[in-house]
Amino acid sequence: MLKNIFLGALAIGVTGAIGFGVYAYKSPIAAITSDQHAEFDPELVEKGRVLASAGYCATCHTASDGEPYAGNYAMQTSFGTLYSTNLTPAMETGIGSYSVEAFRRAMHEGVDRDGRHLFPAFPYDHFTKMTDEDVDAIYAYIMTEVAPIETVQKPNELPFPLDQRFLQAGWKLLFADLGRFEPDSDHSDAWNRGAYLAEGLTHCGACHTPRNALGAEKTSEQYAGADIDKWSAPALTAANASSVPWTASEFKSYLVKGTTNYHGVAAGPMGPVVHEGVRDLPEGDLDALAIYLADKVGATEDDPAQSEVVLASLRKNQPDPQYRRDLGERLYATACASCHYNTALISQGRPDLGINSATNLETPNNLIHVILDGMNAPEGIAGVVMPGFRGALSDTEITAIAAYLRDNRAGQPAWPNLAKTVADLRASGPAVH
Amino acid sequence: MIKFEINGRSVSVGADPETPLLWAIRDEIGLTGTKFGCGIGMCGACTVHVGGRATRSCITALVDVEGTKITTIEGLDDQANHPVQEAWRNLRVPQCGYCQSGQIMQAAALLQDIPAPTDDDIDAVMTGNLCRCMTYPRIRQAVREAATAMTGAQENG
Amino acid sequence: MGNKLLSRMTNSAKPSDLTRRGFLVSTTAAGVAFGFPRASSAAMDPAAPDGIPLESVGETFEPTLWYWIDSEGQVNVNIIRAEMGQHVGTAIARILADELEVAWEDVNITHVDSAEKWGTMVTGGSWSVWQSWPVYRQAGAAGRTALIEAAAELWGVDPADCTARDGVVTDGTNTITYAELVSAGLSRSFTEEEIKALPLKPHSELRLVGKDVTALDIENKINGKAIYGLDAKVDGMVYGVPMLPPTRLGSSVTSVDDSAAKGMNGYLQTLTLDDPSGTVPGWVVVLGETLMAAKWASQVIKVEWAAGETAGVTEAEINDHSRALIADETAGAILATETPDTTSAFSSAANVIEAEYTTQTVLHFQLEPVNATVFQNEDGIWEIHTGNQWQSLILPTLSTALDVPAERITMRSYMLGGGFGRRLNGDYTVPAALASKALGGKPVKLVFFREDDAQFDSPRSPSVQKLRMAFDTDNAVVGMEHHAAAGWPTGVVVPSFMPKGVNGEPYDPFAIDGADHWYSVGAHRVRALSNDLANKTFRPGWLRSVGPGWTNFAVESFMDEAAHQVEADPLDFRLQHLKAEGYNAGSAPNAVGGAARQAAVLRKVADMSGYGTAELPADTAIGIATTFGQARSMPTWTAGAVQVHIDRETGEIDVQKMWLAFDCGTVVDPDSALAQCEGAALWGLSIALYEGTKIENGNVADRNLGSYTPLRMIDTPEMEIAFVESTEVPVGLGEPGTTVIAPAIANAIYNATGARMRSLPIRPDIILAALNA
Repeated sequence: MLKNIFLGALAIGVTGAIGFGVYAYKSPIAAITSDQHAEFDPELVEKGRVLASAGYCATCHTASDGEPYAGNYAMQTSFGTLYSTNLTPAMETGIGSYSVEAFRRAMHEGVDRDGRHLFPAFPYDHFTKMTDEDVDAIYAYIMTEVAPIETVQKPNELPFPLDQRFLQAGWKLLFADLGRFEPDSDHSDAWNRGAYLAEGLTHCGACHTPRNALGAEKTSEQYAGADIDKWSAPALTAANASSVPWTASEFKSYLVKGTTNYHGVAAGPMGPVVHEGVRDLPEGDLDALAIYLADKVGATEDDPAQSEVVLASLRKNQPDPQYRRDLGERLYATACASCHYNTALISQGRPDLGINSATNLETPNNLIHVILDGMNAPEGIAGVVMPGFRGALSDTEITAIAAYLRDNRAGQPAWPNLAKTVADLRASGPAVH
Repeated sequence: MIKFEINGRSVSVGADPETPLLWAIRDEIGLTGTKFGCGIGMCGACTVHVGGRATRSCITALVDVEGTKITTIEGLDDQANHPVQEAWRNLRVPQCGYCQSGQIMQAAALLQDIPAPTDDDIDAVMTGNLCRCMTYPRIRQAVREAATAMTGAQENG
Repeated sequence: MGNKLLSRMTNSAKPSDLTRRGFLVSTTAAGVAFGFPRASSAAMDPAAPDGIPLESVGETFEPTLWYWIDSEGQVNVNIIRAEMGQHVGTAIARILADELEVAWEDVNITHVDSAEKWGTMVTGGSWSVWQSWPVYRQAGAAGRTALIEAAAELWGVDPADCTARDGVVTDGTNTITYAELVSAGLSRSFTEEEIKALPLKPHSELRLVGKDVTALDIENKINGKAIYGLDAKVDGMVYGVPMLPPTRLGSSVTSVDDSAAKGMNGYLQTLTLDDPSGTVPGWVVVLGETLMAAKWASQVIKVEWAAGETAGVTEAEINDHSRALIADETAGAILATETPDTTSAFSSAANVIEAEYTTQTVLHFQLEPVNATVFQNEDGIWEIHTGNQWQSLILPTLSTALDVPAERITMRSYMLGGGFGRRLNGDYTVPAALASKALGGKPVKLVFFREDDAQFDSPRSPSVQKLRMAFDTDNAVVGMEHHAAAGWPTGVVVPSFMPKGVNGEPYDPFAIDGADHWYSVGAHRVRALSNDLANKTFRPGWLRSVGPGWTNFAVESFMDEAAHQVEADPLDFRLQHLKAEGYNAGSAPNAVGGAARQAAVLRKVADMSGYGTAELPADTAIGIATTFGQARSMPTWTAGAVQVHIDRETGEIDVQKMWLAFDCGTVVDPDSALAQCEGAALWGLSIALYEGTKIENGNVADRNLGSYTPLRMIDTPEMEIAFVESTEVPVGLGEPGTTVIAPAIANAIYNATGARMRSLPIRPDIILAALNA
């Protein structure tokens, strides 16, 4: 924390005072009144709905006990806690006074209607890539379909000087590459469409790219993986730890259904990404995203069903009459296998835990979260739940199961300090759905 | 109020959201065919289907099943003639019967996923369901027979 | 011994009193009012979709209180036994219906609520079919006789010229249905002497007994409709969970602080129970509008106790105390074997072998945790809604607890989600009753979550046994001793039921049966020792197969050890000593054939398994064992063989196959009999290898499936079970199969590897240690 403050102060120095002041100043854009709210074409509104879904705006702009888009969703960052703003068309505390130009500026430049710089917890550094048409569609959707709710905005909990918005301009100067998406002629149209979506609207890198000390994505390590809210967002590059390589069809299945054959399900923070959002994109867009991500990860076209990795995992998941020999093995056989067992083919709905990302990542967090708190209906496969074992299994028992899966099923080196990690994750409270 | 569908009927349950689904089903909705055995997801007596998948309802929170479709033993087949139940009837599987709702629900789910299970497959999936009367030999045989009946029906129908 | 115990119970049975008074006849009212108003529904007819028993239509004929026939020819059989998976109601109804000559599809059963007129209500000991056999046959014969006589009178013919079949009487020319006879009004009563003199059908004419049937309780166990105690619903009931004190006895509450629960939704109050019966000292019950409200509240309520003196007791201490008792020659009861004095046999012996056997504490872990719903109904009667195996035993205790006469209490009958002996001990009803009493009779449903159920179990006591055998110079067996020390379930719960040994000391038959085997061993001293430390630390329980479940582990392991000592084949050695002479000749009606029938099942299982002849790979062998089931007075001749393979690297044991042979006399319901034997054998296997806990800090250490690990699907080996055809009286089957498995496995392990196991459960690390010793 102190380091961040120090570096924040350093950023001020680096940019220089006066020139910076000129750069940092943004003029307010005139408010509109509710009479001035336009009537939008229903097709545009629907397009906006799909796009707002795919950008899962509501996920960050809705508090756990709040109305949709009304803000006050708490984001824990290493700089302090920030609360998202009210995005409903409410006139006083929402964006009801925003003209489409003001909305565009916010999305493209990270500046609100009053001219204040927005904290990059709002990933405008991604939304900047979106076309005007797409931004306008989202505007149309919000202004038409979202119920206006007046709220009391919770103040951000940032220490001075990080709470000084004008300094965000400095951050922007240093780290944000503002401007529309530029297609790469070396790649197909589908790839570019996928890139447009991923790097813009669906802002995958916001979680999957590691950040520097000032909280900016390290552009040279795009998609190299990062830790978010005590979950791991795995690498989407060749460094991806899964024992079965990702393919375009795996990505597509994941983004459409929240489940795959060979990589587990969309859990934790990825649950809403899929189910509150991305899956509503038209099929062509989903294919495009899959193609783009498959390229990033260095996918092959091979169907993993008969790969040695998969077959070996299936062999190892066969029931063993001597399952009592090891605590973790016995607990797995009696508490987990009924749902996680597969016979000759891995079926969706029966996530194989040997090849699952959760048992192959460097940290056990994703696995432990899911053992503790399961998955509710909107996570993973929609309408299907995995119960949590928080109240059913002790730390010793969860540690044993995790260690068994890591060693016996994933064949990976033991996670260090696993027992302590389990205890810490349990103490940090249930995952908020 | 947590809303979901149970055995094809929409319900709205006002219990504490952290109430285990099992007790909401038994005490709030009044369907007592699903049983309580251990409370830690390790005996299977509480097994229901959520979204068509076998789920231990004693450790599933009510709030987590909002909007889902749930099936209990009472709703598996309105004449209790699901092929699994037929096989259970033919082989007279139940003794005290307390675990059998969970066994039947788990077996039905098993056969959805694995229509022609080997004995190893049956062991792997059914071992989570405890039967204290130890009717396992008959359960195993009933699963085999139900599998035959179901794959036969598929081929013919 | 068993005879005495049983006769004490059956002598108090009211049915014979009723027939002495020439009870009953027809009633004109629809249905017979057996007294208590039904303020709530309880499960009684396991085949009815809502559990509600059949109501009679029109006139009924009720020659004994065990059944009635109505004007539509429907038959209702009253069952006093608890249904816990042994399909007892069906078996008993078949026995009756066969003699009565009605069609099976017209038969219904009612598991009755408790009432004095039923006499002793108990379900255990593998007694039900054996005890019911004469009673219900006679009852059926009484009805048949009366119906035939009525028809004969109607036609003016000799009853001897009439026959009855499928509810119809005919003399060859005329026919009339039972329904018609009953509708016309039928009154006939029988004295006890008359009933006993009634002709019963020869075995060859039994049409239901011994024939295949689907038990009446099965359908509702497939469609979710079966109603167990935990399913009880009473309008206005509140839920309770117990908070258990640190010791079974002697703890008292010093403070209760429920301030943390006060704001919780649905929390009602916390009761510190005042228990005049002394069953649940130091108990607290937390009440809530919902079960979880009570449970969550209980997790934040702080109770402090002054702990009883057994708060630190361990299993090791209990076993050490057992050893001390065994070493004390003056302690214990000596059973009346043929020659209990073994002094000279041993002092003049050429050779003596001895061995100590131990078994760990075992939990019942019946899948439906104990529970009870209690309230006082509008007629002032206390209704106890629960599944229970021994209503007669707990009613006096409830009477003390509630401070009302026992006639003001009724126990409503429910299906049991597992009995196995746990529900013989109805102690779990007491806190529910006390909680309801504290609320002025308002309905309270007390639910034991699994951990509480385990802590409040009456577990099978850990045991220590010392066996000795004396041989003469020709290696002939001249004497045997069996000293067994454990907690005594009967001693703790029903001490008046204990018979006395030849030395005048009382003993618990359920803690020594099995030691009084049918081998001719010369002088035979069997000494039963009550472990008082166990008795005051926990409530020792009757657990499926009771004494024979662990005494036979010792006896049948020791018989192999003795055989090896004299270099005899264990099968031959046993057969040599199973001589149906003198004390072991057996007697009618229950033990016809004596030791010869035990020898026969032993030979049968040896044949079935290939014991001694099968060619088996390395480290693989078959072991055998034979027992007489539950008691000398009611022997079920049982033999078992188990084939195991031991992995010498890991000590892991692979149970490859089990064979069992039974001679249980007449088999009433063949498929249910088979099912009971399958289940009993697997219980034996589970206790032999997979189950066991320990007393730690005065309580069982393992309280849920995370650490208590009974047998599961994957642990189930192939089994082959055979019954000897017999027309002798039917004896029990619920338990005997359990008794042979552990010793057969121990013997198999020895045969495969030379390592002798002397404690249960047998675990790989113990095998490995023995292999490496």
